[in-house]
Amino acid sequence: MTHALSTPASRNIEGNEGLFHRIADMFQRRLPVILTTLGILVVWQVGVTVFNVPTFMAPSPTAIAVALYENAGTLWRNVQPTMLEAALGFVFGNLFAILLAVWFVHSPTAERAVYPIAVFVKAIPIIALAPILVLIFGNGLTPKIIIAALICFFPTLVNMVQGLKSASPAMLDLMRVLSASQSEILWKVRIPASLPFLFAALRIAATSCVMGAIVAEWIGSTYGLGALIIDATFNFRSALLYATVVIAALLAVVLFSLVSLAESRIVRWKPAASE
Amino acid sequence: MLAALQQEPETTATQPAISIRNVSVRFGEGKGEVTALSDVSLDIPEGGFVTMLGPSGCGKSTLLRAIADLVPTSGGEISVLGRSPRQAREGRDFAFVFQDATLLPWRSVIDNVRLPLEVGKKAGASYDDPHKLLKMVGLAGRENALPHELSGGMRQRVAIARALVTRPRILLMDEPFGALDEITRDKLNEELLRIWQETGTTIVFVTHSIPEAAFLGQHVLMLKAHPGRVKDFMKVEFPAGRSLAIRDTVEFITVTARLRSMLEECL
Repeated sequence: MTHALSTPASRNIEGNEGLFHRIADMFQRRLPVILTTLGILVVWQVGVTVFNVPTFMAPSPTAIAVALYENAGTLWRNVQPTMLEAALGFVFGNLFAILLAVWFVHSPTAERAVYPIAVFVKAIPIIALAPILVLIFGNGLTPKIIIAALICFFPTLVNMVQGLKSASPAMLDLMRVLSASQSEILWKVRIPASLPFLFAALRIAATSCVMGAIVAEWIGSTYGLGALIIDATFNFRSALLYATVVIAALLAVVLFSLVSLAESRIVRWKPAASE
Repeated sequence: MLAALQQEPETTATQPAISIRNVSVRFGEGKGEVTALSDVSLDIPEGGFVTMLGPSGCGKSTLLRAIADLVPTSGGEISVLGRSPRQAREGRDFAFVFQDATLLPWRSVIDNVRLPLEVGKKAGASYDDPHKLLKMVGLAGRENALPHELSGGMRQRVAIARALVTRPRILLMDEPFGALDEITRDKLNEELLRIWQETGTTIVFVTHSIPEAAFLGQHVLMLKAHPGRVKDFMKVEFPAGRSLAIRDTVEFITVTARLRSMLEECL
């Protein structure tokens, strides 16, 4: 975020050498976390070997690596539906939340009428909702997308409402002096002002939509990372279970990174309040 | 040294840019009602530079906002170039400069100046060149900077350029330099006088600084508080012209001393 300032100028002059420096620089900044991760893996590997922990209880990192390699085909086949559910849930859940937030900001009555219901829906444990949705929509993609969407929906709604209201009274006065219409105020002031709030919510949604899709797949699904987790657990294929968890986490990290990348491209400004 | 104009509007010469007749503004209802302005009348001459001074709570900002159609009046009448404030706002007769520069932080300097060209009704309006205006306020070359990359003084310059882009006949300024350091404020005061002379715009300028009010204003409107009403409408003349140097002259200090004692009477 903070280095967004320097990039436009530096990008123009940088050739291959600049790129190399950037990668080296990034590596150097990440070095502590890389070393910590390696340390944990070594301790884990040594611990499992020294104490003779049975593989079904806790597989060693090397066993997980082998499982990742041997089951690459299975994992790839199952990551695809989960990714699709998570992504579609992300899109629909956030889109619905954004539209609802825009409606709320223009109609206090709508906010009073619908917001409490949104809070109630949020209060239902998602895992309790999953069987109900499976009963209604069957065992296809639909209930999984709905659950992934539901999990994204609420944080985005709350943040978006706050973001749309974050335009300062002075900015609204300015637009009034300019005789701007409601839609001009929405597009020129409220929506740009809401973007930092929206992206904060989207970053949360990027990881939670994966969780939503996986939880939904636990209920009688025959495909997806969630189904694979259940299958591996019941068959004591612990190395595969851990490998699946690693892939699920990677999926969430990829989505998170995409959102962060979009944010750094779109939100280059800083709020005026930091004067 | 005209007192608040109670007499009939004169039929001579030019029509005033802003004419205020028996205006009152009340906020709230019932027991919580506060009278911000009570029976205010005055005329602001076309092409004039009027500074508004008064203790806090005298309603000077409220009066400015009432002229700008940002605050509804509870009684009386305001006429801006012969029209209602609302018609004047829709016709882009005036522009407003806020205390906080109120730039849109996601827009570059030039895009902030262009904002008035993108919104609102603009039938038959004529606009000034944003690049020319940025040059006029001393910001040529900073067109693509974002507001957070500028100092407070520079941001306020952008706000002034944005206000001038619609070629307003009246410029309403609500403590525009109040948050700036003294050196920046002095410099902007001098530049504002230059801009006023170049454009011939009528300027109404709210401030809480006595030297600023005396330095800028051809007339100083003094308001007293609780409720806000006119204390005096005083003509200020410096035959030697206005440069920052006059502030050390006896004439200038005499004026500020008068304003200060008048301000004390208002409390």
